[in-house]
Amino acid sequence: MGGTYTDAVFIQDNRIIQTAKVPTRSENLVETLMEAFDKLCIPDEQGLTQITVSTTLVTNAILQDRIPAVELLLFSGNGMSVDALPWPVSYRELSGEMDFRGREVEPPDQGEWGGILTPNLRENSAQVAIVGKFSHRNSLHEEQLASYLKGINPSLRIAQGHSWGQANFYRRSLTTYLNFAVSDIYHNFAQQLQNAVSARKIVAPISILKADGGILPISKIRPIESIYSGPAASILAALTQSKPTDSSIVVDIGGTTTDIGIVLSGVPLLSAKGAQIGAYSTLVRSLAVRSIPVGGDSAIHATDQGFFLESYRLGPAYCLGGNVPTPTDAMRYLGLIDYGNERLAEEALASILPLERRTPAFLQALANDIIDAVAERIAEAVDSLKKEWTEEPAYKIWEVLHPHEARTFRTLVSGGGARGMTTALEKRFSSPVQLGLYSEVSNALGAAMARPTFNCTLHLDTYMKHYRIEETGEQGKWSGALRPYLEVEAFLDTLAQQQAVFYGIKIEHLEKDPFDFFPIVKGYRTVGQIVRGAVHLRSGVIGRIQV
Amino acid sequence: MKRTGILFFPAFDWSLGDTHPEREERLLYTQEQLFEEGVLDLPQIKQFSPRIAPLHEALRSQALFPNPEVHRDSLDAHLIAAGSAILLGEARVRGDIDNGFVLARPPGHHSGSTVWGNRGFCTLNYEAILVNHLRASFGIKKIAIVDTDVHHGDGTQDIFYHDPNVLFISMHQDGRTIFPGTGFVNEKGGPNAWDQTLNIPLPPGTGDEGYHYILENWVLPRLQAFEPELIINSAGQDNHFTDPLGSMNLTANGYGRITELLQPDLAVLEGGYSIEGALPYVNLAILLALAGEDYHHVREPQKLDRPVLNLAQLKPFLVELKKQQQTIKPSFTTRSKTFFPKGNWIYSPCSIYYDTDGLEETRHDYIRQCNHCGGTVYLESSCSSSPQKSILVRIPFQACSDCEQAGYDLWDHLQHHSDNTTSVSLQNQLHDKLYVWDSKEGLREF
Repeated sequence: MGGTYTDAVFIQDNRIIQTAKVPTRSENLVETLMEAFDKLCIPDEQGLTQITVSTTLVTNAILQDRIPAVELLLFSGNGMSVDALPWPVSYRELSGEMDFRGREVEPPDQGEWGGILTPNLRENSAQVAIVGKFSHRNSLHEEQLASYLKGINPSLRIAQGHSWGQANFYRRSLTTYLNFAVSDIYHNFAQQLQNAVSARKIVAPISILKADGGILPISKIRPIESIYSGPAASILAALTQSKPTDSSIVVDIGGTTTDIGIVLSGVPLLSAKGAQIGAYSTLVRSLAVRSIPVGGDSAIHATDQGFFLESYRLGPAYCLGGNVPTPTDAMRYLGLIDYGNERLAEEALASILPLERRTPAFLQALANDIIDAVAERIAEAVDSLKKEWTEEPAYKIWEVLHPHEARTFRTLVSGGGARGMTTALEKRFSSPVQLGLYSEVSNALGAAMARPTFNCTLHLDTYMKHYRIEETGEQGKWSGALRPYLEVEAFLDTLAQQQAVFYGIKIEHLEKDPFDFFPIVKGYRTVGQIVRGAVHLRSGVIGRIQV
Repeated sequence: MKRTGILFFPAFDWSLGDTHPEREERLLYTQEQLFEEGVLDLPQIKQFSPRIAPLHEALRSQALFPNPEVHRDSLDAHLIAAGSAILLGEARVRGDIDNGFVLARPPGHHSGSTVWGNRGFCTLNYEAILVNHLRASFGIKKIAIVDTDVHHGDGTQDIFYHDPNVLFISMHQDGRTIFPGTGFVNEKGGPNAWDQTLNIPLPPGTGDEGYHYILENWVLPRLQAFEPELIINSAGQDNHFTDPLGSMNLTANGYGRITELLQPDLAVLEGGYSIEGALPYVNLAILLALAGEDYHHVREPQKLDRPVLNLAQLKPFLVELKKQQQTIKPSFTTRSKTFFPKGNWIYSPCSIYYDTDGLEETRHDYIRQCNHCGGTVYLESSCSSSPQKSILVRIPFQACSDCEQAGYDLWDHLQHHSDNTTSVSLQNQLHDKLYVWDSKEGLREF
């Protein structure tokens, strides 16, 4: 789903059988989806084995501020002032502190709790999010407060921060908040969609595409994880058209925005930090994507020096009935694309030039300059993304001594503006640029071919005798050895299998990070270990598209 | 608010031994604390990625004896910490950041002009490597280093002892009570750099109040008088009241205040081995103070319950110490070798103990007295582990032509009269040329 159009593809045995495109009706996304579905004219609907949806539902609800308020209660402890960071929502700080090992530094002051009981919390089924600093190491305070509040008002709906088990109190708070705030919107959508599909007696499971380029069953995904699935889908679409080991730069040129992603040896690069959505910094894993405000419909204004490529759109291209010149007009004038009115394109370009220069030679040069300007903006974003990749932090000597080797990148361009840009991008990159197939439905193609992603990150403290799982926030007791070795590998495997069963996905060929062992020393004696390890199923596609 | 760079390199896959204080775990909880606080999400903080320094960078400041090859396999962690300091230093000088924090392991300030091995957990001296890199690459002339580790920064002092353009100030626990046993007020610099070394040895028990008082009343005025282009802080954290090696009484907040007072361009982590009780909090306070954020809410869970020397007790001691420091006059011994070029050579012998490796280095230092530059340096060194003798010849930054020539003459002579000399290193800081001549392997440029 995009803001303007919704695309659909029907794929059988890695072949695209049918594609469809319908306008997005933002007031009714389920109907839009079903309309696109119908346009695919699938002969045997009941025979479908998989339905995957990439939706802007949650992204738009957040960006358009259509989410309900959640009461946010924080055990913020000592340390950096909470207000050193920008908070897009209000919160209330409570006393009570944990440390980095999950030890209680200061218990909550239960006398303080009566004061938070507003009429809203006493009587309504309000939504309350409770988040503690270091709650990912020990959820005790969150649990205590939740149980207190439930005792006062059983109809309260409560979310706890420790279910987001990665470090970063600030992001954990906002992620817990957002995920909870969009949950009703999401679950209504999921329910309606499931009903519409079931009404047609289709039993194929429905999956939702996530920001990290993976899919999960519609009932298992945490709603906030469905943001930014559009750019992820473009990158996956590129994967369906490249060798599993290729490294690529993926450029999706739309009307107003161009998304750029990077694929390293067949694996899309993940962003080192969680996703940022509007004013919210989150812990949501997302692919590293640069979205730049330039595209085929970007407005162009005449200046004393020539022209300026604006970072906004003022309606469609001049040659398609719009009011301002755009890169699309330049493409049309040069014959790089075959849609739009040729005469209008010329008129658009001429309007930028002074009267005496409105000759074919000057028009041609101007058109080329415009396209080069777009290519330059894209190239700058590509460079900045590559820089982000090469400058990822490293915390081990091994990592510093074995940097990512310099790779040769293929460039794959898709989207509405792609066809007109390939030559200019080839010139700018000094390397061949490939035009993506089914450019006009690349989002749907990427979503349809996506496979599940899976991560299970273990943090085990054998001295404290507890373990934590980042992805699920699971906190459990450890009864194994103080210095485990093989034992911990089997332990992580078991946890991963349990998690996969919960998500209803099959996991094979998991990628394993080497374990990090930190001996814990007290008085020159090793008394335990902190062990960190993880297994992953990286984002990828279920196959390559056959043409 | 200040644009602050951080280079966090905890070397999670490196240690000096399973239960050694300098082990994998040392910055683990600091990572937990910094990441959990979301401090890297502060808009003014930029995280940098570590980089390994080429050997050339180390050899510009330090001679690796008997030759660099011997050390090559054990230098990775140290060269990454050095490269990281350089990276952040460059960002500072280019103006990409207002200040920076090199939060890397292992430490470096006990490592001096000549290196036979590891001492005080240090093999390479990052502050020195950084300072001399910035002088060589950016033409920076005057730099001050303020060492606030509980241990005397003897390595840094050794490297800059004859350098009139680097002011070295060390505040530390009195050397009679702690490793490395140096850092007294009479160590004030060599003949060409007299009074460019300031040691302030403090009694055990000194706390926040005392430290801040000394900074405001002694260290800052001295800095102001020197007018350095850059201030580097060797930010050891073992003055914290929970440190197992030190006996001082600083708090995390106290460290924040030190940073705020000192306003260093770069802070470089040195020691600090209370890895749970102090480091997560001290590192956070320093980083916040650098970034111009409020650090007053940073509190270590443990309470300070040891007796602290209060200011009233400390003040008379400090007055006396300062007077003593100021009344000490230079007194040097003149001595030279037959082959030395003309000039007045000042001689001072010393011996250096390598606690980590159990080595004893014996050194004979000669410096050419000069009114125009830092003076040519000739260091003759031997080590208990071998009968070998290695020599360092240094032509300093901004060397005058006589001292430059003296350096070449020595270098020339030594290569042709090498009866009992294993290796000679030429540190030509003036032209950034670094050579090692080895009796077995011949001449190499680095």
